[in-house]
Amino acid sequence: MDGLIQEKVQRFEEFVDRRLKPDLVHAIAERDKVFEQQEVFSNLRRNIENLEKNSVTSLQTMVNLGSEVYMQAEVPDTQRIFVDIGLGFHVEFTWSEALKYISIKEESLANQIQEYTRLIASIKAQIKIVCEGIRELLQLPAER
Amino acid sequence: MQEPVKGTVTPLASLFPPEEAQKASKRVQDALADRQSELDRVQGFIADNTALVNLVQRLPDELHHDIMVPFGKAAFFPGRLVHTNEFLVLLGEGYYAERTSKQTVEILNRRGKALESQVDSLKAMMKDLKAEASFFDATAAEAVEGLVEIREDYVEESSSERVIETGPPKPDSPRFSGEDSMKVAAEDEEYARMMLRFDELEKEELAAGSGDEHNEADVDHSLSQLSGDHVLGSLEERQVRKPLHHSKDEYATTEELLSKKHFEEDFANQLKSKIQLEGLKEQSVPKDSDDVSHGKSFANRATQSSSRGKDNIQALPTSKAETSVQSSKPATDGLKAFTGSIVEHTRNIQMNPREQAPSSSQSSGSQPTKPVSRFKMQRR
Repeated sequence: MDGLIQEKVQRFEEFVDRRLKPDLVHAIAERDKVFEQQEVFSNLRRNIENLEKNSVTSLQTMVNLGSEVYMQAEVPDTQRIFVDIGLGFHVEFTWSEALKYISIKEESLANQIQEYTRLIASIKAQIKIVCEGIRELLQLPAER
Repeated sequence: MQEPVKGTVTPLASLFPPEEAQKASKRVQDALADRQSELDRVQGFIADNTALVNLVQRLPDELHHDIMVPFGKAAFFPGRLVHTNEFLVLLGEGYYAERTSKQTVEILNRRGKALESQVDSLKAMMKDLKAEASFFDATAAEAVEGLVEIREDYVEESSSERVIETGPPKPDSPRFSGEDSMKVAAEDEEYARMMLRFDELEKEELAAGSGDEHNEADVDHSLSQLSGDHVLGSLEERQVRKPLHHSKDEYATTEELLSKKHFEEDFANQLKSKIQLEGLKEQSVPKDSDDVSHGKSFANRATQSSSRGKDNIQALPTSKAETSVQSSKPATDGLKAFTGSIVEHTRNIQMNPREQAPSSSQSSGSQPTKPVSRFKMQRR
């Protein structure tokens, strides 16, 4: 009987350590990536709104060539902007189109974040359940 | 001398349990993997750097280049590079420098060199780690195989002999304690061996002595004429042995041999060339029984090494009464017969207690000692 319980406890612990915890780490990393994207798009939206407000038609900027070496670049026409829509595709937008796209994109990103948050919560819950099961198997008094 | 049982046998597995060795090996492997990833990273930097150097060299070829100008991370504007020979290079800590293409290339090349040195050091580290890992693996394998380690302390066989040779105090003690027969026998052997060695040295000297100073050569000749080297050697041996067994005084002469040797080593260090001559004189003196020269040489020596003489004088009062007269300079002149006196007086302080006995006892005992001393000195 004792041996059986020991075996079960060990299997539960292995499940927590080898399956649930790596899953949790992975989910958190994915969610962080989505957060980053969300920030990128919100920045872009703010920048475009700025350009619109100042009615900029041309702009000068510094381009990073790599290894923090910069060169001046100029944009003669700011009316058209190419926005990354994922998988390496860029779509040519006007500012208004770009803003519409960005708002939709932000919504989708927010959904993704919610999803990931839910996933993370469920994984945490599973971990807790398994731990509780182990506790019951060992017939330890409930903590907390 | 040594204990019959020496050495220990330890199974390697007890020293390095195989699991531990494997664990260590695994850790080293992990460290190796870390280094490998670091190396890959740095090599990626190097590739980027060389690509950038090419780009920077190529950019000034055109007045402007049409590019997509990045606008944030997710958007681009169609635009073009202008001022293609002006670069802003990060120097570090937020400082930027405006450089031309060539200057930028120089900077980038310097960066590349730094990266390459990093790669070299990483590779050296990895080599070390690999060696370590293979060592751990080998240890683990050997431990599993049940290899044993045999450890045996090294006991120098000649250690005790050397002590006797170099440390006159040892022979000294038995004399005072009353001559332990065993010890005496051992010492006897020692002396015989020493004498043999001296003989050898003497022969060497005779062979190589022609190149030395004339005085030395003369003395050598005279020595050989007076008594063949072999005869001399045997004589020495006999004399050494006799005193050991029979009379304390004579035994002391053998000690004197030792002590004299030591003294002369020291002394020779201090007054190399001069002493050589004087030593020769001394040797010649006893044989010729030339009192004057003998006395002179001694005086010279004493004056030359005033400090030594002083030491001797100071030490002598503590010694036995018999020798006190001879120990001083004038005494040597008066007591011509005791050729050994010269030797005794010039000795080191540590030898003093023993000096007295020989001085009183013998003229013959000193003779064998002389060649020894001379050769020692010549060798220095």
